[in-house]
Amino acid sequence: MNNLNWYFPKTIKEATDLITKEKVLFHAGGTALLPRNLDKINGFINLSDLPLHYFKKENDTVEFGSMNTYANIVSKIYEIDSENILLKSLQTSADTPLRNRITIGGSIAFAPPWSDIIGALIVLDAKILLSGENNGDFPIEKFLQNPKLKQNSLVTGIKFNLSNWKSFSYRNIRTKKDMPAFHIVAMLKIENEIIQDSKIIITGTVNRFDKIIEVENYLKNRKIDDIEFSQIEKLVDVKFTGKRFSDPEYSQKLVGIELGRGIKKLVRNL
Amino acid sequence: MKGTFIINGQSKTMDFNSDERLVISLRNNGYTEVKNGCLEGECGACMILLDDMPVHSCQIFTASVQNKNITTIKGIGDLHLPHIIQESFVEAGAVQCGFCSPGFIIATYALLKKNPNPTENEIKQAIDGNLCRCTGYVKIIDAIKNASKLIQKERVHS
Repeated sequence: MNNLNWYFPKTIKEATDLITKEKVLFHAGGTALLPRNLDKINGFINLSDLPLHYFKKENDTVEFGSMNTYANIVSKIYEIDSENILLKSLQTSADTPLRNRITIGGSIAFAPPWSDIIGALIVLDAKILLSGENNGDFPIEKFLQNPKLKQNSLVTGIKFNLSNWKSFSYRNIRTKKDMPAFHIVAMLKIENEIIQDSKIIITGTVNRFDKIIEVENYLKNRKIDDIEFSQIEKLVDVKFTGKRFSDPEYSQKLVGIELGRGIKKLVRNL
Repeated sequence: MKGTFIINGQSKTMDFNSDERLVISLRNNGYTEVKNGCLEGECGACMILLDDMPVHSCQIFTASVQNKNITTIKGIGDLHLPHIIQESFVEAGAVQCGFCSPGFIIATYALLKKNPNPTENEIKQAIDGNLCRCTGYVKIIDAIKNASKLIQKERVHS
């Protein structure tokens, strides 16, 4: 048994003041905290009373408070944009009871390699809203690349623009409950049967996430009928580490095949 | 620690350790209908409704949900006054050892409250956090379909 101190701040300021205490962590949904070694922690700052359960939409910009669960996000986005890549990425993530508990704030702050939210937020050019020592809006990529931004700071929300680009999401899992070996997200801007632009991200790689620029360049300004899907497979060059249930070489081969399949389905409306 | 919770509509004060999981606190305080299965959020035996949402109680620190509404299977129906869903599970033969049944029934209750006429895919998604090691899932899905029909019929009559 560990004697943990529990703090229940009512304001964001109270919460960010508390995080300066030694060895305390923010507690959102808590699912990522449970497996941790609690011997090294003095306490938790419970965020459930903070006004971070909100959802706002202004024109094409949507903003979610960081205490929204995956389930909340899926149901709210479904009402406004049923083709949204974040919706596609999260609606099959984990399982129903976990989606009712995992918060976007916890997911972003923890951002494990198997995260299903990171790729979608990158292709959406999402901004992470922070309060505390680092106050402001930060592009998701900058946030992920600079861990110091998390220092004494609280993720209070995410913001992104809705898009009419076509999208797909693919999680590589053996059973539905698996954490994915990798996750592909892609968004394509298609006009007059020509791919004007694309954004492709693979998460779960050695680099945590990789932009697949070679495929993006190959697709740019290419007519749909001129795409050689087998070519896409050859252009994907990402590395994986050995995971518990997946072989890096196999994942490396499979990721290209799945990306080609996904793009094929997308452009052919299959 | 000491904290107050609303369990099956009644205010209840429980003693618990600061790092304790909700499934343990509930069982230590007499709510043994909440089953302790894997403690990893995999099996769904410990499923409860937290503010009407199905969650794994083994994946929650007790301290974090003080003053929240918790519903266990007994808050839905019991031996003397079973819920339609519970009766449907018995009638369909969807219960064998019964260890997973509270979790499945909680998941079904949450689904049918939100969506009284689910498709088979929606049913499968709603029970994706529950595992059964005895019957398989065919009879469980039959039970949920039957409960859905009975609930809709009841609504028409009322």
